Amino acid sequence: MTDRRMPEGPFSGGCQCGAIRFHATRLRGNPHVCYCRMCQKATGNLFAALVGVRHEHLTWTRGRPAEFMSSDVAARGFCPNCGTSLYYRAASGPHVSLSIGAFDEPHRIALWYQMGLEGKHPSLMRLESVEEVGTTEANEKPEDIDRIRNSNHQHPDHDTETWMPHRAVLP
Amino acid sequence: MNPVRITGGCQCGAVRYALHTEIEGAHLCHCRMCQKQFGSYFAPWGSVPREKFELTRGTLAIFQSSLRAERGFCRNCGTPLTFGYIDGDGTISVSLGSLDHPERVVPRQQNSTEARLPWFAVLPDLPGRTTAEWGAGYERQLEDIRASSRQHPDHDTSSWTPHPSSAR
Repeated sequence: MTDRRMPEGPFSGGCQCGAIRFHATRLRGNPHVCYCRMCQKATGNLFAALVGVRHEHLTWTRGRPAEFMSSDVAARGFCPNCGTSLYYRAASGPHVSLSIGAFDEPHRIALWYQMGLEGKHPSLMRLESVEEVGTTEANEKPEDIDRIRNSNHQHPDHDTETWMPHRAVLP
Repeated sequence: MNPVRITGGCQCGAVRYALHTEIEGAHLCHCRMCQKQFGSYFAPWGSVPREKFELTRGTLAIFQSSLRAERGFCRNCGTPLTFGYIDGDGTISVSLGSLDHPERVVPRQQNSTEARLPWFAVLPDLPGRTTAEWGAGYERQLEDIRASSRQHPDHDTSSWTPHPSSAR
């Protein structure tokens, strides 16, 4: 069963490259995944994992996301330097639905429900049947893991005083 | 036999690609780098030899998440699209959700389980609703979304003008 208590704030998070960072003081009680084809296509994923935060409880502490209006009704925020999907927002709504994976501690946010089930493929109904092939350490050569660690351009999972995002090559 | 052609692209349609062979090694990667780029629980990937990957519209933006890896995304709408090792084995992976028909590719394996989020296991059992059920009483809003959607359709188009975002 899912845990129906929301964790206490504050929360921090941001994009992969660290150009965009946010704080949320309080989250809505609606952590969910959405399988609708618009969430899938926006995030290149099988679903979007989202949790709401009211505008007054959200602060962009570094940079500002770019927005793509996926329809007249909704905007999707992302980092223009690394592409990380950061939020879904109803154009006139009182809140923003932040990507759970963009939080520094996504494991604190338990899912409550799933929606957009028309986009959920049967193969996803049995996630436990997808074979586990182990950890990163088990599957990569130590020297390759060291190369990633030593040159990692991902922002750490905590706030930083200063940070220079690694620049993307943009068309 | 017709040659294989599997198509996909970003949400806004500025970047489109075609794969000229079947996808191999479809899997879910739970590593924290894939999580963070996708803002999600995992990234779903499937790979093809690089010479079988063709960009049919637009150009990828590339973020080097480390000196080993390049992650391609759409500059206009952000959709994560590709992953490739810089000194790799000559393959490139595409995000399965960016395929026009993601339901045709079944992920067979899970990688980097050290970072797998505890809620992954409950996903199949969560209470759920379709968009139509969720939107009961909000049919007009759902119709507004349908009527004004700027998402590229799930097939190639001969011409397409992506709706500009605030990224440029």
